[in-house]
Amino acid sequence: MVGTPVLFIAIPLLAAFLIPLLGMIWKELVRIVPGLVLTYLLILSVNLLNHVLAHGPIVEVIAGWVPPIGINLVFSAFSGFLVVLMEFLGLLVWAYSYRFKRNVDYEPALKYFLMLMMLITGSVGIVLTGDIFNMFVFIEITSISAYGLTAFYKGRNSAEASFKYVMMGSIASTFLLLAIMIIYSQLGTLNMADIANRIHTMKPAYKIVSYIFFVTALGIEAEIFPLNGWAPDAYAEAPGPVGAAFAGIVVKAAVYAIIRYTYTIFDLSGTLNFLIIIGMVTLIIAETAAIRQEKLKRMLAYSSIGQMGLVLVAFGFGTKEGVFAALFLMLNHAIIKSLLFFSGSYLVYNSTEKRIVEVNGMSKYLPITSLLFALGAFAIVGLPPFAGFWSKLSVMTAAADSNMILIMALVLIVSVVELVYYLRVVNRIYFFKKEASIEPHRPTINAMVVMLVLGAIILVIGFYPDAVTGILHKASASLMDKSYYIHHVLSLKQ
Amino acid sequence: MKKFLVILLLAVLGYYIADTYFDIGFGQPHFVKSAAPVKDIYLAKTQNPLKVSNAVTSIVVNFRGFDTLGEVTVLFLAVTVLGSVLYKKRHQVGERSVLFNSSSIVTSGSKLLFPAIILLGAYVFIHGHLSPGGGFQGGVIIATGFLLMLLAYENYSVSHTALSIVESLAGITFAGVGLLGFMHGGTFLQNFLPSGVMNNLFSGGVIPIIYIAVGFKVGAELTGVIYTVLHEKGENNG
Amino acid sequence: MDNTLFGFLDYAVYGTAVLVMLIGLYGAMVKKSLLKIVIGLSIIDSGLNLLIVAIGYYKGGTAPIFSQGFLENFKSVSKMVDPVPQALVLTAIVIGFGVTAVALALVIRLYRHHGTLNIDEIKNLKW
Repeated sequence: MVGTPVLFIAIPLLAAFLIPLLGMIWKELVRIVPGLVLTYLLILSVNLLNHVLAHGPIVEVIAGWVPPIGINLVFSAFSGFLVVLMEFLGLLVWAYSYRFKRNVDYEPALKYFLMLMMLITGSVGIVLTGDIFNMFVFIEITSISAYGLTAFYKGRNSAEASFKYVMMGSIASTFLLLAIMIIYSQLGTLNMADIANRIHTMKPAYKIVSYIFFVTALGIEAEIFPLNGWAPDAYAEAPGPVGAAFAGIVVKAAVYAIIRYTYTIFDLSGTLNFLIIIGMVTLIIAETAAIRQEKLKRMLAYSSIGQMGLVLVAFGFGTKEGVFAALFLMLNHAIIKSLLFFSGSYLVYNSTEKRIVEVNGMSKYLPITSLLFALGAFAIVGLPPFAGFWSKLSVMTAAADSNMILIMALVLIVSVVELVYYLRVVNRIYFFKKEASIEPHRPTINAMVVMLVLGAIILVIGFYPDAVTGILHKASASLMDKSYYIHHVLSLKQ
Repeated sequence: MKKFLVILLLAVLGYYIADTYFDIGFGQPHFVKSAAPVKDIYLAKTQNPLKVSNAVTSIVVNFRGFDTLGEVTVLFLAVTVLGSVLYKKRHQVGERSVLFNSSSIVTSGSKLLFPAIILLGAYVFIHGHLSPGGGFQGGVIIATGFLLMLLAYENYSVSHTALSIVESLAGITFAGVGLLGFMHGGTFLQNFLPSGVMNNLFSGGVIPIIYIAVGFKVGAELTGVIYTVLHEKGENNG
Repeated sequence: MDNTLFGFLDYAVYGTAVLVMLIGLYGAMVKKSLLKIVIGLSIIDSGLNLLIVAIGYYKGGTAPIFSQGFLENFKSVSKMVDPVPQALVLTAIVIGFGVTAVALALVIRLYRHHGTLNIDEIKNLKW
């Protein structure tokens, strides 16, 4: 065995406690150590995923007590795939922000890297854990890091956006605790597999109340309509790499949580249709709002919310093709949206308002960045031969398999809408004259390398999607099989 | 109008929540028939392999110790975020906003009370496994002692670097003990010291060690929070 | 007398906890001063923690501590109240404190920038 899943949590925590001490010895260590930790965790996650794909899920117990007495972590094909994705994106965000854009002092840099590492660790913890209260603790770790990162810049509006986030996050925790206690008071256990095993003995009224509270709480983090009021402001006010981290890492963890509750733990009958409905509503409202945005990051934020709505619709189909399509969408969205946030940050670097009209003519001064932004825009809309085409195609295939013609039509219409507002920006970058007052800022070497890596991945997946579809098929099979999960966790002997 | 709508929404929500919980029942056992509640197993195992008197402590530190590690991280993060949000360049250390001067009763009384409070806090977190209390409770009491001194004396100061060193060392102890569990039993946070006799001070394996580390950490962190906020020099006053 | 007393208690504890939560929620949604909103969020946490601990209570039960007195007199763990909600509440209180601290830091920074605590005057972004 090469390593165990608990290292994903234990090593970053140890590093987080060590970094203030190391910073007193040599200041550069504060920037280097998170990178080393993330690189090690990425290698570990790839190794574990290879092991899991060959041999089956890894279930690790903590403190020596088997479930349901103790807490356990589950590294299956589904959760493992998400962990690899999150660690990879985390490493890229670290590399992008290594040399900070504005020169920040030692103390804010220390806190930035600590909060970033904890954001990634919290999200990985949400995905790995097999215990509902433990998931609550990790959601809080992720949320507090997110509050801090949103308020990082000293401008006028970042504290306000963060305060809105704090208010909604607080209400989310309240509902989550209420839901956990309803389940505990009936079943006497907090372990996911044990709950899944016994939940048919719970009164249906309690199950429905509990499920609604869970979806409300997790929906606030996953930015479902109408709970996403905080999201566009938070994305707009946070630093560029942090926006990429939110869209690529945090939201994925929240959607994972909703899906784990729907597919594995609860056995209510209408939940899948419920997911399709809220997914569709989120998609429509977010995409129509995106057209009317004037600021670049808010537009990207609404586009991200819409894509998550589409992911929920795909999960709502309930078939293996649906889950495959949803996972493919999640993968592509994480990579493409990160590239858009990274390149978009440089396109509006020196402006205070970050409005779309200020990217006019940037292609002359930032040729590579503009090209990468255009690549990302084409990819997310779904134009072949880029990556987004294959994921949208798989959504349409899954919808056709379930006879959901309305949804196929909806996806096409939404793609057209996306084309409109993304091409608008690309048009401005290439064919308009530059505003005289905006000075372009060249990206640093590390930022350029990160963006090129992401662009290369988009091209690779676009031309050769089979590189990832094998893993995605195994991951979707792992999610669909509920009894295998329960059996695997509960069969451990003390 | 808005207030009326909010009250209506709250009434509906409150009825929904209250109805569910009233139905669950107060004071009666409410587990469904087929449930095997974990609490019975916890209470049994606390007596026998673990030999710890306080069942809540054994749950917090041993059975669900991973949650406690997460909670300690949340506190650490809250202090970090606090420092990040309130950061100002050219930070003037030692410059406080003083609202009023303390009378002599307060100054002499707090000098007497401070050692007693620290002693009480230390007692609470050292005996966490024997009586109600524990690391978090003890740490908060210690921080209260520092708060008293900071409020009573204008020029009382604690070294910020010392607090941050204590905090980091205590955190490393907790995570380190967890990793040591790997070598002796094979899982993270496993108890690897002998359990001793129940109701003795040296019982329960690693549980007292972890709780002492938590006590130091919480005391240092809360004192740091109070210190950061007290040194917040406003732009209009001070 | 026992029956009526406990009959009232059945609803009193849960009812109080839910009422406290609703008062906090009302404060967080309606009040205009930022400080009152943060206090409202803190009150919600208090009510919620009371509700969680109340779930673990058993009538006639005693604290889940194996002290000398317990070992001599009771000897049966079925008389103990449920220790698990108490452990969960320990964690929840600390987490609630962390969130309150962050919220108050943001209030201080907003006050620094705008000079006022009134939420109507700070609405730069679309609420």
